[in-house]
Amino acid sequence: MLTSLVLLPVAAAIVVMLIPGRRKEIHLPLSIALSVMPLALAGYLFWVFEPAAGFQYVDRVPWYEPWGIDWYLGVDGISLPMIVLTTLLVPIALAASTTITNRTKEFVIYTLLLEAGMIGAFLALDLFLFFVFFEAMLIPMYFIIGIWGTERRVYAAVKFFIYTAFGSALMLAAIIGLALTYASQEGSASFALSDLAGLDLAVGTERIFFAAFAIAFAIKVPLFPFHTWLPDAHVEAPTAGSVLLAAVLLKLGTYGLLRFNLALFPDASVDAIPIMAILAVIGIIYGAVVAIVQPDLKKLVAYSSVSHLGFIVLGTFALTSGGLQGAVIQNVNHGLTTGALFLLVGMIYDRRHTKKISDFGGLQKTVPLLAGFFLFMTFASIGLPGLNGFVGEFLVLIGSYPALPSLTVIAAFGVVLAAIYLLWAYERVFTGVPDKEENSVLSDLSGREIALLVPIAVLIVVIGLYPKLLLDKITPSTEAVLDNIVEQTDFTIPEPGRIGDVFVAGGE
Amino acid sequence: MITPPEISWIAIAPDLAMAIGAALVLLVDVQWKPAPRVLGWVVGATLAVAAGLTVVQWAGAADALAAGDTGSLVAFSGLITMDGFAIFSRFVLIAATGLGLTAGWRFVASLGRRGAEAIALVLLATTGFSLMVASNNLVMLFLGLEVGSIALYVLAGLARERRESEEAAIKYFLLGSFASAVFVYGVALIYAGTGQFGILGIRQLLAGFVISSPAVIYIGIGLVVAGLGFKVSAAPFHTWAPDVYQGAPAGLVGYLAAVAKVAGFAAIARILLTAFSDLADTWLPVVAGISVLSMVLGSVLALVQGDVRRLLAYSGVAHAGFIMTGVVGGATDGILFYLAIYAIQLVGAFAVVAVVSGPDGAGSSLEQYRGLGRRSPLLAGAFTILLLGMGGLPVTSGFVAKFGVFTDAWARGYEWLVIVAVIASVVAFAFYIRVIVVMYMDDAGEEEPLRVGPERWVLALAVGATILWGIFPSSLLDLAADALPI
Repeated sequence: MLTSLVLLPVAAAIVVMLIPGRRKEIHLPLSIALSVMPLALAGYLFWVFEPAAGFQYVDRVPWYEPWGIDWYLGVDGISLPMIVLTTLLVPIALAASTTITNRTKEFVIYTLLLEAGMIGAFLALDLFLFFVFFEAMLIPMYFIIGIWGTERRVYAAVKFFIYTAFGSALMLAAIIGLALTYASQEGSASFALSDLAGLDLAVGTERIFFAAFAIAFAIKVPLFPFHTWLPDAHVEAPTAGSVLLAAVLLKLGTYGLLRFNLALFPDASVDAIPIMAILAVIGIIYGAVVAIVQPDLKKLVAYSSVSHLGFIVLGTFALTSGGLQGAVIQNVNHGLTTGALFLLVGMIYDRRHTKKISDFGGLQKTVPLLAGFFLFMTFASIGLPGLNGFVGEFLVLIGSYPALPSLTVIAAFGVVLAAIYLLWAYERVFTGVPDKEENSVLSDLSGREIALLVPIAVLIVVIGLYPKLLLDKITPSTEAVLDNIVEQTDFTIPEPGRIGDVFVAGGE
Repeated sequence: MITPPEISWIAIAPDLAMAIGAALVLLVDVQWKPAPRVLGWVVGATLAVAAGLTVVQWAGAADALAAGDTGSLVAFSGLITMDGFAIFSRFVLIAATGLGLTAGWRFVASLGRRGAEAIALVLLATTGFSLMVASNNLVMLFLGLEVGSIALYVLAGLARERRESEEAAIKYFLLGSFASAVFVYGVALIYAGTGQFGILGIRQLLAGFVISSPAVIYIGIGLVVAGLGFKVSAAPFHTWAPDVYQGAPAGLVGYLAAVAKVAGFAAIARILLTAFSDLADTWLPVVAGISVLSMVLGSVLALVQGDVRRLLAYSGVAHAGFIMTGVVGGATDGILFYLAIYAIQLVGAFAVVAVVSGPDGAGSSLEQYRGLGRRSPLLAGAFTILLLGMGGLPVTSGFVAKFGVFTDAWARGYEWLVIVAVIASVVAFAFYIRVIVVMYMDDAGEEEPLRVGPERWVLALAVGATILWGIFPSSLLDLAADALPI
């Protein structure tokens, strides 16, 4: 089943490829229709997924036996939400791309291949396979930014590519090192995560490998100080590119830290808590402060990502139940809200062809629906109780407090700052009287655009009001991560950090 | 009375077939003055026969290995072997020749009466290199090297109407002969130190005895590596490559570069890994140094090139460094796989260059590739895949190849070399990406799509191989793993 989940988008891409280039009008609708299939499959997967630790629906086929490489896919509570998020956002991103009239066919193909790469990376349980997906998806994204982006697109695309490729090069070296250590200790080759996680590594080696993985993922997240590619890439990318970049690609960084760093290098992870947490908190505050002063709406949302992803990293490295649950939930939340915010910014841009905040004002009057959705997403992003952002940030903060009290207090200011930059931006763009003539003649959201936003909005409310739906599936897997760390190191989870200590998640 | 060595026809059958084919091409041309198409059939048949005979050798080698009888794989008193290593390399050479000639066919046809010359020279060059990869003796190896190299010097100058082509030929010839001389001197010093020319003889001697004054041998190894390093354009012996790649006829550069690299690395691997495996502690640091220098110089200098052929030349220097990491790793399968993959990609990439530059191959500046993605989408797509394959992006065979040699080097204890190599790979991406940027992200004026001739077959095969062996590498990897030197 998981294999078909990876291959469905590839098949869809091939179908689109076979349609002649002159039939421009059917490429986009066809691809949207085709990309609903992976979504349906992912939805089914979510439905049948049993909340339990360990990987389910495992597909394992030897790929090249002498090297111990397997086609090894599996899903657990950490990757499951990401799969659903990915498959949900691809059709939405495609449907939001009607403004792309130039080389639609290629655009659609790249997007579908990107989807396959993202799904594959979230499902891969073999490090070689993971690396293949992790690296291979760079190319479609590179083209999406570089061909369909705005003025400085080539610069942004190359910067994006080189940053990420550099990070993953170090990770490749570490993967080789890990696999060879395994081969010398066990006498057989393997790249499987489960095999490599049990390795005995010397302290120094483990730290170096940890650093190599952590840098690769930190660039992807992006964690301060590796974030400088992100604003460029986001601002220049077309709407669909920004949505997928923010909602899914960045999550590979946080997902990788959680899935690979914590599992492969428990000792080094425990030792690195202060460094990672401090970088995360710097990112939270720095991203927020820089976002406040951005004159460009898209850049503002981009920097808000830096801030929000800091929370995820903080939660991950707090190593408590709440922190990890919060990190996974927040992965989803950020994908939904920031994805939606980028969609909205794209919609504004389509109408006004500018993203400068100072060019707007009083849009509420002319485009009330758009303003309403923007305000709603803003609230979700700030973490208004009842919406999804609250659940995630609350879990992260409550989970981090026992472990890192002072940093958590500082991070909490990030929530306040988020309210400042987003609400202030809302105020400048949407409230007041439309004093510029162009702003008073805009058309409000079309039915298609509403159809794109409604599913996201519904999920935001559902997660906000009934997080048990997700938490039930997530918790066994995050608890397993913690159990593994407790087992492998002499680290004790700070009280009250485990479930049952302070509050009962999932409503038991 | 001197007893002549026993003649083992099968050991040299493929080479003989190609030499006869070369003569046949010339004879047919003189006698009937046929259309180039006819010569094409002759050369195609020759290569097919050579490949078929190589398959026969392969079967024999497999049987002999199964019987534990490696002695029967050596012929002509130990001058020539039929081991898997030689056979695999020869396959690669024949494939590169077939693809290379197809890619350069429009150039060959445009030469008119001189076309037969070009074909014969190509066949002779392949014959020489094919003998070189099969030789089990340093003198024999030198003979093969010279036969191949001299043919290549002439090929580089075939487009003699253009000054760059002449310059390329002269430069290649002068520097190449110098390198050959260095190689011979190295062989002489090795003989002085060991009293042996035979690869196996040297290995047995070094395994059995402690050499009291090994300095002569060390210098000999150094000179041999330098001479062969020239042929594979490893830094610091690479200075000829950019000019030759730029000046030589566009259609044939891919062939010229690919066969020289395959044969050169096969020889390096055989000499260092078989004959001098016991002195590895001495030559490993030197080879690792050459590897680092090649990777760094090649990648960095490629970044600043404004000409696609020079860019590919410097990328070739970087690739020489990557393959050297495989030599450091000491596993022949990684090297052979890399060589096979890279040879195909190189010929494919130069097929694109040949299309863009036109048959006589005037310019190849990056400007000519501007907007190629719009002008000729398929051509640009093929070039993109080949460039990404050379860059070593996962899902392409280039990644598997790189992964293989890096893993070997790491296992040998050269972790730092692997780290340099992965960083160099990223820099390499940067310049491949530059070409892709120019092709796709800049708009071209309204230009006619380029006319693609027989190059299309080369491109289809090269792209297919790049992707298929990237996803299912085991078919070729298994063959490479079986192709061990004796």
